[in-house]
Amino acid sequence: MIQYALKRLLLMPPTFFLISMVVFLLLNLAPGSPTETTGAHGEGGTSAGASESLRVFKEQFSLDKPILLNTRQWLTAVEVKRLLLATGAGSDAERLDAAEALDDGGNDLVPHFVVLLDDPEVQAVALLRLPQAAKLPYMPDHRGTADEVRLRNAVVEAHNAEVNAWRPANLGAAELVTRWKDWYPLHRAEYEYDGFGERVSDLVLDTRFARYWGNLLRLDFGRSVIDRQPITPKILSRVRYSLSLTLVSIVLAYLVAVPLGIFSAVKRESRADTVITVLLFMMYSLPTFFTGTVLLRWLSVGDPFAWFPTGGFETVDRVERTVLSQLLDVGWHLILPVFTYTSVTLAALSRYARAGVIEVIRSDYVRTARAKGLSEPVVILKHAARNGMIPILTLLGGLLPLLFGGSVVIEAVFGIPGLGQFLLESIGLRDYNAVMGVLLISSVLTLIGIFLSDLSYALVDPRISFD
Amino acid sequence: MTEPKPPEDPTWLDIVVGQFFRRSLSVSAALGVLVLWGLAILAPVMASNKPFVWRVGDGPLQFPWFKSLFDQIFFENGVDLFFNTLLVALVVVGPAVFLLWRRSASLPRRPRTLRRGWIAGAAVGIWLVFLGGVMAFPYQAPKEVYPLLEKSVRATGQEVLAIYPPIPHSFRDGDIGRALQPSSSDHWLGTDSSGRDVLTRLLFGTRVSLTVGVFAVALYVTLGVIIGALAGYFGGWVDLVIQRVIEVVICVPSLFLVLSVASFLTERSIFHILFIIAAVSWTGPARLVRAEFLRLRELDFVAAARAAGFSQPVIIFQEILPNALGPVLVSATFGVASAILVESTMSFLGLGDATLPSWGQILNNGRSSGVWTMILAPGSAIFVTVSLLNLVGEGVRDALDPKLRK
Repeated sequence: MIQYALKRLLLMPPTFFLISMVVFLLLNLAPGSPTETTGAHGEGGTSAGASESLRVFKEQFSLDKPILLNTRQWLTAVEVKRLLLATGAGSDAERLDAAEALDDGGNDLVPHFVVLLDDPEVQAVALLRLPQAAKLPYMPDHRGTADEVRLRNAVVEAHNAEVNAWRPANLGAAELVTRWKDWYPLHRAEYEYDGFGERVSDLVLDTRFARYWGNLLRLDFGRSVIDRQPITPKILSRVRYSLSLTLVSIVLAYLVAVPLGIFSAVKRESRADTVITVLLFMMYSLPTFFTGTVLLRWLSVGDPFAWFPTGGFETVDRVERTVLSQLLDVGWHLILPVFTYTSVTLAALSRYARAGVIEVIRSDYVRTARAKGLSEPVVILKHAARNGMIPILTLLGGLLPLLFGGSVVIEAVFGIPGLGQFLLESIGLRDYNAVMGVLLISSVLTLIGIFLSDLSYALVDPRISFD
Repeated sequence: MTEPKPPEDPTWLDIVVGQFFRRSLSVSAALGVLVLWGLAILAPVMASNKPFVWRVGDGPLQFPWFKSLFDQIFFENGVDLFFNTLLVALVVVGPAVFLLWRRSASLPRRPRTLRRGWIAGAAVGIWLVFLGGVMAFPYQAPKEVYPLLEKSVRATGQEVLAIYPPIPHSFRDGDIGRALQPSSSDHWLGTDSSGRDVLTRLLFGTRVSLTVGVFAVALYVTLGVIIGALAGYFGGWVDLVIQRVIEVVICVPSLFLVLSVASFLTERSIFHILFIIAAVSWTGPARLVRAEFLRLRELDFVAAARAAGFSQPVIIFQEILPNALGPVLVSATFGVASAILVESTMSFLGLGDATLPSWGQILNNGRSSGVWTMILAPGSAIFVTVSLLNLVGEGVRDALDPKLRK
């Protein structure tokens, strides 16, 4: 048992790594990018200021890096020349694509640009792009001691200031070509690869995914591409809304479902059971967004009743409240959402409970209990129900991610600013880091939930062994 | 001279079908699902703003309705072409198929199964060729708005013969000047915020839901069955790798992922939605089939098949697979219902295909405009469809369970 648990625990990190990779790939490969929604794109993208701010934006969020594997080191001068030529010819889309590839290429392109300075066809364009491409990235704070970082960044600063001045606007072409050619051999080490190890590390580590993981290892989900604020506190501030909604609903659902299931199973095929089963079946088939919309319209909006607030988690005003009245206020807001959520969960749980108890009631030991003269309540509650509840207890593990994530639909209908709403807002704005954060936290909880429910199977039923 | 035929031994399928037919509730639910299919296929016959027959004065007879069936500008989203060609194919080859099917009933089992296989294959083939042809040659029918045309022609004093379907409205083109009208004799369920007839959209929404349900499930069940079969049959490292992949897919919160991916697509079509649903759901059937294969591959009939020298694909797909499909059948029936729910949820949240008259989209329109008919009608449609499918699912599950045989 312990061996099994340990094995499962050890498998969790690699599984999580794969999950993060799949989600990351899906989000990054899907068409559309945050540069389109944030306005960082700049209208037309031609003016110097706009393209500069786009570049800074992409650098800040590593959007200039390849997604999973960085193969730019294997670009050849011929390919770079083709890209340079493509920026001046072809359709708008082709020109923009080529320009973007060159902008993103960064340091990897410098050796090729220097070689291409001898090519009259592209000399001018290469000169234009060299100062930007030759700029070195600053060293991030967490890569070394404070002194190391300061020293290195001072070097980088001087280096960048030097190359930045070498623009065709300031100097003649012939002069620039000789300067770059004299300069390059001295700085070769910054731009070329020495050895296999550096190539491999660049291939795997100089990518969006690796940078994301670099942050993730420090429990940092990055910053929002919308307002540049860290994601983690944003998520934490939303959790309490989702948690209160789901926790109350699930506890209520269990409290009702268990007795209802037992009752229904004991009185099976009676009229009461038929009514309960049909009702639960209908509740099970009702989509939450439909129930929610109807309740809201019927009881809140004033068509015909206005008994409940029309949405939100609490009354937003400046009135000071006591703890009690604040609780009452939240409760008032939560009645309809909780009812909607409970009705769906309840239907599913109750059906499980009923099936579980019916299964047990038929078994031999229940007949034995009756035969030895125990009263019916004792037989049902002490002998049958306990074992009949095993299946729905083990379902609890699977509810863990729900507790955190809440329900996107119910939060959307009732305007509760929980994590589901946060996810919807973030995907609307293409805020990759926020979406990734929510998805990853829920997957970790799902992993833990599945693990717990598998373990609980074995804990409550000693006959099950995983070895 | 005719000998009395010896009664055939019932096959497993015969028993299951027989068991299903003894459950009257499930049978009526299955009939209900058939009715839904009928509504989906016949939607343009019941609701279209193109007249079946059109004639101005003594001019030639025209058939605008029939032409519009294959119009790819009007029926812009594939789903309708699919159903429209199905409608035409059913009318053209349906009777022949029915007659041939009936005639094959007198054959003994093996030739009968073979013959029926051929008949079904040929019918589907004809339809697919037809669908392919329609897709390959984009065609645009006359764009006239016939009810308006009729008025203006009548105003000139000419005779007009026009026979419309019972609901003479288009599901796609509305009159923005007549938006959000209440129920009337013209618009039974009123109009939506773009002035489109809600009843017509509801009717065409049946097509969307059924397409998503059936095709998403067909896609992921096929995928899941193949993957699960390979994992269960070969075991070892194949199984280990597939198990890890399944674990990864299960742990990604599927509704979150579906919504994220859908919203990151700039132009969503119903096919994207199908694929997204399939991509997160294939693990269910894969796990079921894998478990069945692990059990079945140790049995004697598999050893016999190996000894007889059958190739591995034959053993996997012809010998073992039919025995492993029971549980998958049950989960597939319930899967159709949940795929329909996922699609309507996506449309409700505004993350579906915007060109489709999906039920979720109508409900969303009703919520934002606060019109009761537009909330209750699509909501009840979803509810009824999902209930029927769940009832059929329960029937299939009970029919497959040997302990519950009646």
